[in-house]
Amino acid sequence: MNGREELVLRCAQRRREKIGALSDEGFAELCLAVRENPTAFVDSPELASFATLVGALDAFARAGADDDLLDDDEFRSAREHRLQTLSAACAQALSQDSGCLDAQLVQVLAADLDPDDRLDALLEIEAKADKAAELNLGATGDAWDDIFARPRLRLWDAIARTCLAGSRFRMALDVSRGLMAASPKDQVGGRLTAALALARLEDEEGFNELDARLAGRENSWLNLGRTILLYKLGRMTAARRALRGYGELCEGAAYALLRPTFVEIYLPDRPEVPAGGFEEATFAVHEAEPIIADVPDFVAWADGFPWFHAAANAYAEEHGYDW
Amino acid sequence: MAFDPRREDYQRLALRYAQSLPKGDPVAAAKAFADFGRRFARDRDTLPQSDADRAFHLVAVAAEIIDYQLPFSSEARADKLISRGRDLLDEAISLDPKCHDAIRMRASRLSPSFDAQFTFLQEGADEVLATCQAARDAVPDDGDDERMALGRDIALRPYRRWMAALAEEALICGRNRSCIEAGERLLEHDPSDQADVRFTLALAYAKLEDQASLDALATRYGAIVPPRAADDAWMGIARLALAHKNHDMGLARQLLERLIDTYPGYASALITQTELPDGVFARLAVPPYSEDELILAVSEATVLLQEGDDKSGRGVLGSWIARTTAKLHPEALTEAQEYSTPYYQQGGKGPQGGDAS
Repeated sequence: MNGREELVLRCAQRRREKIGALSDEGFAELCLAVRENPTAFVDSPELASFATLVGALDAFARAGADDDLLDDDEFRSAREHRLQTLSAACAQALSQDSGCLDAQLVQVLAADLDPDDRLDALLEIEAKADKAAELNLGATGDAWDDIFARPRLRLWDAIARTCLAGSRFRMALDVSRGLMAASPKDQVGGRLTAALALARLEDEEGFNELDARLAGRENSWLNLGRTILLYKLGRMTAARRALRGYGELCEGAAYALLRPTFVEIYLPDRPEVPAGGFEEATFAVHEAEPIIADVPDFVAWADGFPWFHAAANAYAEEHGYDW
Repeated sequence: MAFDPRREDYQRLALRYAQSLPKGDPVAAAKAFADFGRRFARDRDTLPQSDADRAFHLVAVAAEIIDYQLPFSSEARADKLISRGRDLLDEAISLDPKCHDAIRMRASRLSPSFDAQFTFLQEGADEVLATCQAARDAVPDDGDDERMALGRDIALRPYRRWMAALAEEALICGRNRSCIEAGERLLEHDPSDQADVRFTLALAYAKLEDQASLDALATRYGAIVPPRAADDAWMGIARLALAHKNHDMGLARQLLERLIDTYPGYASALITQTELPDGVFARLAVPPYSEDELILAVSEATVLLQEGDDKSGRGVLGSWIARTTAKLHPEALTEAQEYSTPYYQQGGKGPQGGDAS
């Protein structure tokens, strides 16, 4: 979530509603003015609450900047402290506006619950939100275009990923598909969760359909999902080709699979990263971890290809990572 | 019914013996047969037998050692048992190069990975079927229909064990469609389901969250010999896993209670969730609805229980089952805590107590 930008859009949108009729150019100018000084436009509990949350998320990220220097125990306690601080900030945001969906979402995520409890908590938020307002496609046919509908999409995305982590694959798929239907642009990435769920369910037809919908727009989730799917189906030659596709798409992809690292909880959604970079592969592997663990010989199989092993090794050496 | 290696060994020699008896003299035959039991127990070598019979006997002894003694032996004795089992299997194969039970069991120890064993079993399936069918067709017709039927049935059992092992291995490898393919092929070949492959199938359908196929599997219990209701622990766990996956927690709880009621007094097995090594001959032969059966089913259901990103390390479903069982049956929790040391470190307390019969 680009919190700063969303705060600007929210403030501008609310101001436009107050002013009444405003041309597109007028709105663009208004946005510029808000961007200069958002605080000046925060004039309601709703906007204040969101601003508090955005500030807290920024502070959370800043506080973790030096985590690399800590040893394991220090890191664990520093992280716990940061999550607690974030949770307290969410409580503050909710005291300003109890309806702030993103604050509710982040508060649940920051509690770092097991998938069963997290799902219960998220579904509770969704039930209340649904009672307040049904999610619809809006004027443009894509809920994402309504800045105030985005929190719901993020909530659904979190539900889908929590289902995946809790080995509820069909439910993860259903929620992701709902997400893609509500927002065909799919900024939050329902298709990525769907790809992994389809791979785990060994649903080749469903996977190919999704693949066709994306019309050749490759990404690490899709490529890793396809590799796992073909591997599970025993089509080993095709699986090898898919592994190559996965390995070649992103920088350091082989290293990401063979040496998975800790990935922080998404707060509240999947961080935006440049396509084709190492982080993309890292996030894909992280989300696929429960599925990879279910194919016990998969990683060793991938590691068994000299070109894959060598690519991982070379990436580690180049960047001075452990190998 | 599961496969009992000692019983099968006995049946093979009894059949061979019956075929060797003079025809048309029922009195002499009856007298000779009275002698069989004694000779089988004490003087086995004097009984007529083929190399295949001898090889199977070694398989039966090896199965006893590896499946029923090894899991409960001390570490000091384990190496000895392992090498004894290996020697027996080698000898069986040298006696009968087509002894597929021995070949399969030996491979399960030699294969470097689950995948390697899966591939080995998958690639060998057709050949094993051909060998077993040839052996079935070679069973002589001595005019006794019942004997001939048993002889033909025994000839096919190595194939059934092979396919059941293939399905189980596929499940462990996370290749659920392959598991279903092998299991359905076996069930079609033997609707009476001697190998109890439907248990493995139930878990695979749950893995793919395929409720319709799981329900369809339950309707096929009508053909099972001996008859058995679709309320075994495998089916029970598969059903409650599906409810849990659908986030129908009320139903999941009900199904868990039903499972506990089907195996009364043994709820602690659902908390302990012991992981047992799979039987290398076949799934261990345990009495239906016994505590051992529940322990076995829970162990095989590890692929369902331990899935997901749960901090306890038990898996999402595994930890839900343990938690909910403990809440429903606090006495089971106490019992599970008493036996929290692994089963193989407890003096004599373990499934089967090392007895296969």
